[in-house]
Amino acid sequence: MKVSYYPGCDLYTKAKVLNESIKASFNAVGVELEEMPNWYCCGTTFTLARDNKMSLIAPLRILSKAQKENGEVLVPCSICYNTLKRANYIFKNDPETLNIINEHLGETYDGNEKIVHPFEFIKEHPEQFRKGVKKNLGGLKLGCYYGCYLLRPKKELQFDDPESPTIIEDFVNMMGATPISFPLKVECCGSYLIINSPEAALETSFRILKNARDNGAEAVLTSCPLCHYNLDNFQSRISAMHPEHKPIPVFYFSQVMAIAFGLPVETWGLEYNKVTPLNLLKEHNLL
Amino acid sequence: MRKLAKDNDFIARIQEISRQSITDCYQCGRCTAGCPFAEYMDEPPNRIIRYIQLGLKDDVLKAQSPWFCAACLVCETRCPRGVDIPRIMEAVRTIHLRAKEQLIDVDQIDKELLQDAHPLVLMSVLYKYSY
Repeated sequence: MKVSYYPGCDLYTKAKVLNESIKASFNAVGVELEEMPNWYCCGTTFTLARDNKMSLIAPLRILSKAQKENGEVLVPCSICYNTLKRANYIFKNDPETLNIINEHLGETYDGNEKIVHPFEFIKEHPEQFRKGVKKNLGGLKLGCYYGCYLLRPKKELQFDDPESPTIIEDFVNMMGATPISFPLKVECCGSYLIINSPEAALETSFRILKNARDNGAEAVLTSCPLCHYNLDNFQSRISAMHPEHKPIPVFYFSQVMAIAFGLPVETWGLEYNKVTPLNLLKEHNLL
Repeated sequence: MRKLAKDNDFIARIQEISRQSITDCYQCGRCTAGCPFAEYMDEPPNRIIRYIQLGLKDDVLKAQSPWFCAACLVCETRCPRGVDIPRIMEAVRTIHLRAKEQLIDVDQIDKELLQDAHPLVLMSVLYKYSY
């Protein structure tokens, strides 16, 4: 099966591991991710100013291009997913704005391209992915962290219940590991505040990691490159702020998939994890 | 007692940018209760909304709170009146930025952070705090 694939800029820079591990693991169950030719940046962080049409240009150009390839495009980065889906909601429901941007770009996009996140894709093809599981992750307790971009706003994304989602828990179950649900799984990681108000972002990241650990998680699992950056990258800073902090590894869901599918260790991309999961994986006889 | 001057143009401008009806809010405070960043704000989110309802432009523009809003949308999810508070926060930021006020000063960013910064985070921050 071939699926159109929009990686987004991040998957070629800081989140290379997400790109590599998702391609490898989807490939292992017979899903070939066909990268869209000449894709552009989605614009990052959807604009909330309704009179700003400039930032809808990139999403329309991408979606129009994607539609010419296929009616459905797989978007693994939570931010790209959020930006494209929210822009598409406007294209679908606000014909005046859609016309203005179509005319500006010389496009004829109709708002009907389907934007799919890997979690949704996996949920739609459960047998195929379940069959891929070759290794027993039984004892591995993974904190299921959603963050903001996949869930909110509910009306526009229709991804899962924004207050009590279960799609990641279902995924972890399918991979044969033990999902850990924790109250702060839907809380914001601090997002771009890490640049201009680092103390606020680090504090929220600390709270989330602590909450996951207090509820029994041995590692945290996410799909968002921004959450991964905040949660994984700054744990030494968090330890400096809170000496009681115990470092906890943060995985991309696709790394866990590569492990569960028994793929070669090179595809797991463990060298990208700032807080190394090597000991944890050895404890569980996975390495 | 301070005399309150209602600035109707300001209310209209916020409503135009955010496409939200500011009078929909009945000040229950759920937005503030759930906001992960309220503790860093000089005015809680519901008070910013109240200032806008009253047309108190100076009080709104003086507040630093909108710069701590990460648009995580928890408040939008929980608002019983369906008010999209992050859109209103963005409208306040937009008014500042279009007036070339309160733009982010790249020289003030932590050097260590900047060197290793995620391109996505940098893009987002420059996009949200500059014009």
